[in-house]
Amino acid sequence: MKCLDWKEKISGYIDGEISPAEVREVEGHLEACESCRALERRMRAVGGGVASIETSVSTDFREKLFARLEAEELLPRRRSLFVFSLRWAALPLAAAAAFGLFLLVSPEKGRDAILPQGGLPRVAQQSPPSSASGIERPVATAAAVLSPEEREIVAHLEVLEDPAALEDQGDADTIEIFGTARGRRG
Amino acid sequence: MRTDEELFELYRGGSRDAFEILFSRYHRKVIHFAYRMTGEQARAEEAAQETFLRVARAAGTWQPTARFSTWLYTIARRTTLNYIRDEKDGGEKVSILPGEEDKDGQPAPQLPGPKALNPEEMAWSAEVRERFAAALQRLPETYRAAFVLNRGEGLSYEEVASVLGITVQAVKSRIFRAREMLMESLAEILP
Repeated sequence: MKCLDWKEKISGYIDGEISPAEVREVEGHLEACESCRALERRMRAVGGGVASIETSVSTDFREKLFARLEAEELLPRRRSLFVFSLRWAALPLAAAAAFGLFLLVSPEKGRDAILPQGGLPRVAQQSPPSSASGIERPVATAAAVLSPEEREIVAHLEVLEDPAALEDQGDADTIEIFGTARGRRG
Repeated sequence: MRTDEELFELYRGGSRDAFEILFSRYHRKVIHFAYRMTGEQARAEEAAQETFLRVARAAGTWQPTARFSTWLYTIARRTTLNYIRDEKDGGEKVSILPGEEDKDGQPAPQLPGPKALNPEEMAWSAEVRERFAAALQRLPETYRAAFVLNRGEGLSYEEVASVLGITVQAVKSRIFRAREMLMESLAEILP
């Protein structure tokens, strides 16, 4: 077999595309033939040359391609984080909006809803505004019918607001309630 | 890690993420392939863009039994072929001949050859690479495609045969002929 006939086999040998039996034959020949060894070196070099040919990729390559794909509706559009967040926040936002509306439309119920369980002490709820003393009290919101006991308390409000009078009456519960008011006034 | 085929199936089902992973795996390879085939960066990028668009457009016709990479290279090769033909209509092709001259009529300069112990891992200088790229462009497209797919992209003879739609024996023959032509053309710079 002449060297010329080995050429194609050496090419296949370099590419790993010949049988194990052919590999043994080629390697045996290469060991014995200097000119075919030189040929093998050149063949390997041109293969390496192809692999060395590379180019850079433009920074906007991806952006351009994806824009074209989206324009042709070949690629689902990515939702923005804002839209995604809004979607998940929709339910709590709607609940908050409904609650706010409820408070606006129904102020009485709304106020009740934010008061401590059991509401304010009745005394505080129904005490009339004190223009003279300047004490800030919760505004009475309903003209409820007072019980006899409550009427009595209201009738003595001025007395109750006077610490000296309280001492005379010895009403421990009432003293405690208006103690704060006294402090504020001071 | 998901296979290419699994990812492409997911893309066909509407997954953008699957397409993005496939893109990240293959876009450089496709661009390099197109560059090796066309020899021009701008043209290579255009061809690579067109390749991915065609892949997306033809997603419905892909058979899950086929290897995605082979299918992708088949589309890439056909796309670059169109670009090469377009160029050929307006330009000229020079055949590889020993002692050839450059396009401007000047004798080809003598360049220092690649130096390394392993011929496949030679340090190719920019000048030599340019010279090599030019020689590659002068190969007939059928030889160039077979050689680039095998040596540049790492496809086996069988895979190259599948991409080019020819027999394995024909691939073997084309790659051998491409090597011979390149060795003739680059004789003065090869070891």
